[in-house]
Amino acid sequence: MDWEYSDKTKQLFMDAVHGRPGTHLGEIENPDGMGEHGSIACGDAMRFTFRVKRHPSDPTQDIITEAKYLTFGCTSAIAASEALCSIIEQGEYTPISALSIQNSDIVEYLGGLPEQKIHCSVMGAEALEAAVFNWAQRRGVDLEALGIDLQGRDTEEGRMVCKCFSLTEPYILRKIKELNLRTIPQITNAIKAGGACSSCHHVPGGLQDLLDRAWQGESTAAASDTPAAPVFPLVSLEAPPPAEFSPYQFSKKVEKVVEEFVRPSLKLDGGDIEIVDIKGMIVYCRLQGACAHCSGASRTLKKMVERILRERVDERIRVIEV
Amino acid sequence: MDIIYLDNNATTRIAPEVYEAMIPFFTEDYFNPSSMYEPAGRTSQAVAAARRTIADCLGGVEPSEILFTGCATESNNTAIQGVVRANPNRKHIITTTVEHPAVLEVCREMERNGCRVTYVEVDRNGNLDMPGFIRALSPETLLVSIMHANNETGVVFPIDQLSRIVKETDPGIVFHTDATQTVGKLPIDMVRGFPYVDLLSFSGHKLHAPKGVGVLYLRRGTRMRPFLLGGHQEAGRRGGTENVPYIVGLGRAFSLATANAPGDEARIGRLRDRLERGLVERIPSVEINGGGAPRLPNTLNISFHFIEGEGMLFQLGEYGICASSGSACTSGSLEPSHVLRAMKVPFTAVHGSVRFSLSRYTTDAEIDRVLEVFPGIVANLRTLSPYWDNAVNAPHPDALGMLEAK
Repeated sequence: MDWEYSDKTKQLFMDAVHGRPGTHLGEIENPDGMGEHGSIACGDAMRFTFRVKRHPSDPTQDIITEAKYLTFGCTSAIAASEALCSIIEQGEYTPISALSIQNSDIVEYLGGLPEQKIHCSVMGAEALEAAVFNWAQRRGVDLEALGIDLQGRDTEEGRMVCKCFSLTEPYILRKIKELNLRTIPQITNAIKAGGACSSCHHVPGGLQDLLDRAWQGESTAAASDTPAAPVFPLVSLEAPPPAEFSPYQFSKKVEKVVEEFVRPSLKLDGGDIEIVDIKGMIVYCRLQGACAHCSGASRTLKKMVERILRERVDERIRVIEV
Repeated sequence: MDIIYLDNNATTRIAPEVYEAMIPFFTEDYFNPSSMYEPAGRTSQAVAAARRTIADCLGGVEPSEILFTGCATESNNTAIQGVVRANPNRKHIITTTVEHPAVLEVCREMERNGCRVTYVEVDRNGNLDMPGFIRALSPETLLVSIMHANNETGVVFPIDQLSRIVKETDPGIVFHTDATQTVGKLPIDMVRGFPYVDLLSFSGHKLHAPKGVGVLYLRRGTRMRPFLLGGHQEAGRRGGTENVPYIVGLGRAFSLATANAPGDEARIGRLRDRLERGLVERIPSVEINGGGAPRLPNTLNISFHFIEGEGMLFQLGEYGICASSGSACTSGSLEPSHVLRAMKVPFTAVHGSVRFSLSRYTTDAEIDRVLEVFPGIVANLRTLSPYWDNAVNAPHPDALGMLEAK
């Protein structure tokens, strides 16, 4: 797998990391709009800020003059952030007209992105939306009154569908429609949903269900995953303890004998013994302290502990050194 | 631009001696080792000689205990599926959460086929949870498959101890280890070191032999069904015409590695330690993954907080330096390293992880070059990171919570 990036993507990335003139890294102080998208758990996150030239009377006529970003992410995430800022600064956009910038515009500016990196461009568009929403609050612009659908453009609370990337049902449904996503791999490439543990693909209310709901009546990719693994009961087949003990009593008895007859003699030599586990008639123990470094200690210890336990608890007992 | 190759846990360059040993079997000695005529005898003798060499390098085992395969993945598949099919009376497998997919995926497939699988966890340093391992042992346990060293972190598991505990508990349990990352790097002695290990997998291309050849060591008496049917080769245990030049190459590579091992190991370890110390001294907010556990001498897995691995690899590439990362963006899927996640390394450190893996061909000058350019690469990306405070060159106070183990 080589870097499947366009020259433009590579160039923007290298310009950005070297802070060359014309790049947009950083954060505008007291910005007119600020938006964030992504999180460190997901592998990329962006903070996007812009400044406007304020219109004296009509805030909706503000023009974005400067845009900056801070991005945690891969090569294409950083290049996409650069692209977004360049597109905005060059286009003399108002914040509202900037909402028309789609992730596909960013992809085009970059000269294409590999399929599995499309989500990097989506992140840019999302951060922009959030920043415009923030601008509207600061400037007292009622976006809803202007006919701009705010449904789910801020927090989008709702049932969590993709737990790995914390994506909710309303968000995924909106993106399925906006980006015309028809299959689960397309969803994953665009917004990452379902890209990690895959458990949300075919469960009830999962990605396939959302696709079916979004494109009711239209065909979407059929589920072709392998059937779920059968569930097995956790069985305990440990050898039964001697008839006169319950498992608890048996363990207590072993502990007691070790405490009274084994540990004191080990302590004389600066060592100690720890019981790690008891399974059936097998006692697993660990040497500590001076004994642990003594050559031949394991065989000696094992024999001694085994002999004492066999004499005093049950003659079938075996000792294994851990 | 010269390549500085520090990704030897992915694959290695072919040693010139190995390449040379292979050439006759591409040219004049192309015969099928199974054929009867005299010239074919040279190829079957070459395969036998390579088998003997490898048996010797593994501590003097029987040549009949060496099976040639196509790769370590095939060796792992053969070991796990072959043992499961030969022993239908037991249905429990124990493995770990940090295995290579060539073991993990096979175990998941066995789950679908009716086995129960226990995935033993590791701690923050990558050490195996020993009480959890012992707890997992049960009377229905058929197979334990635990890697020798981890490909991502280089953490070495105590296979001698684990296999002894298994066999002392129940000699009927089969013990398999994927030693792909250790063969050729650490001495492997199946007679004195690993007397309780039944099956051991490795491949050629991690020790300066070519890709496309692997080995499964199969201790005599281990019950296993063949995986590839369709031929008498390998005593009926692996069908398919022998890959003569590659088998010859693997034999040569293993004897080279064994002859050079003690000196190489120490020298590579010193280079790795110098790289590690140098990066830690020059760059703030880093952590060594697996640093608190026994590690392969050639591997350094290091995390740089609050930046993403792919951007580092890309910039390293500008200097001709080849390394790899556990970040999601380099995994081909969107999932970051399952190994680092299993170690509960916080997300920011997983995404910002870089693995350097050295070889006997790594030089002091190459390490110097990495130390020269890497601090700048990290600083470049941190300037861009929303979680980094450039004024004080430290993580933003709000972001510090992200460094807690998750």
